[in-house]
Amino acid sequence: MTCEEFRLQLTAFSLGELEPGERQRAHDHVAACDDCASRLLRDRQLTALVRTTTVAVPPDTRTAVLAAVRAEAGAGAKVTAVPAGATAAPDRTRRPLRRRHWVALAAALLAAAAVVTAALLVTPAPDPGSPLAAAWSSYHALGKNGLGTPSDAQAERLFAVLGPDSRPPDLRGYGLRPDGWEARDLAGHLASVAEYRDPDGGRLTVMRWRGELPAVARAPAGSGLKAYRWGRHTSYWWRADGVVWCLVGTIDQDQLYDIAEHLGGESSEAELG
Amino acid sequence: MDLQEFEAATVPHMNALYDAAMRLAGDQATAQDLTQETYLRALRSFGTFEPGTNSRAWLLRIQYNLFCTQYRRGRRMPLVWLDEGEPDPALDLPSPEPGPEEQTVRELDREAVRRAIARLPEDFRMAVTLVDINGLSCAEAAGVMDVPRGTILSRLHRARRRLEAMLLPELGRVQADDL
Repeated sequence: MTCEEFRLQLTAFSLGELEPGERQRAHDHVAACDDCASRLLRDRQLTALVRTTTVAVPPDTRTAVLAAVRAEAGAGAKVTAVPAGATAAPDRTRRPLRRRHWVALAAALLAAAAVVTAALLVTPAPDPGSPLAAAWSSYHALGKNGLGTPSDAQAERLFAVLGPDSRPPDLRGYGLRPDGWEARDLAGHLASVAEYRDPDGGRLTVMRWRGELPAVARAPAGSGLKAYRWGRHTSYWWRADGVVWCLVGTIDQDQLYDIAEHLGGESSEAELG
Repeated sequence: MDLQEFEAATVPHMNALYDAAMRLAGDQATAQDLTQETYLRALRSFGTFEPGTNSRAWLLRIQYNLFCTQYRRGRRMPLVWLDEGEPDPALDLPSPEPGPEEQTVRELDREAVRRAIARLPEDFRMAVTLVDINGLSCAEAAGVMDVPRGTILSRLHRARRRLEAMLLPELGRVQADDL
């Protein structure tokens, strides 16, 4: 493959959208060509930057959308007549109802804001906006929502970013059964997130992304396995080949430590936080 | 119709839907309306959703179709999210807590990238939104925009090269380990 051919296929290669034969040719080329390796690096930098620009739905919009949906469902809406994506005249009669929702929700929002403020005061929130904070939120959300399975394309992207060994590690030897894995965006970092359960219902979450260890999980000296307390939870961290690993869970904490050590962390533990 | 089932399939994607609506519509008020209309439309057509398929892609398709047929025509403003030098309501969205200098620099970088994305032609911007931001495959994005997969790949390729040209200084600031 020439540099020109690689340039034309750069986006498809980066996305994992090439056919296997072409992918191998592109891979071989980029392994041997510094210029194209730089192009690939810049392309990944670009997509990492693009992923940092998302905005979250404002809480009042979220509440209003949910209220409108529930009002419409409560009104006995037919749910199978309109194919997805079909066009229809906007239902102007609904608008006054939705405005009333906005007004009626104001009081509820004030109350909710007080609850959220109280929660923020007691929740540890290290370095807001960091992958660590996003990982913390993700870990909590997983406890309620669980995990699914990545699409083939997502899996390809994980392999491209984290390396071919980014599948969840096999921990059956520790009596842990896999309970789903996904590609997640943790503060702009594409992360592999895997969930496990032990026979007693304890959970273990394994998260990996390419980047630096969060500052709070860095030991003052030495390298290897770090421990960082998240409230009642202890999370274990290390970095190998540019990939950050984070293990956290409610399984037996000695076992959690053993698994962290087994998966790659060395035993120079430093208790932080 | 099981409302719980509908909410379980769709509510986790509300951030993504609102974010895409902001990129399409360009202002908060229209983005709110577009998000709400999308959810109501999705509720009525939930019977056609196939469980096990990508519900985010399904919602984004409804939203894009709605935008093309009902919102785009009525637009008076150019299809650009943030005009240079113009304050934008999007900046009033809840932002990270005032914090260290690093956070400020990061926010400035983000703003530059947002502006660059907003300057892309709408078709390119939507391809970036679907694939690079929402993680859809090119085939899924092709289903959303109702174009061949190759068209999505081509739009993405051209969009990325334009972004690269616009963002070279910002790319210089990203460390390899941030990838």
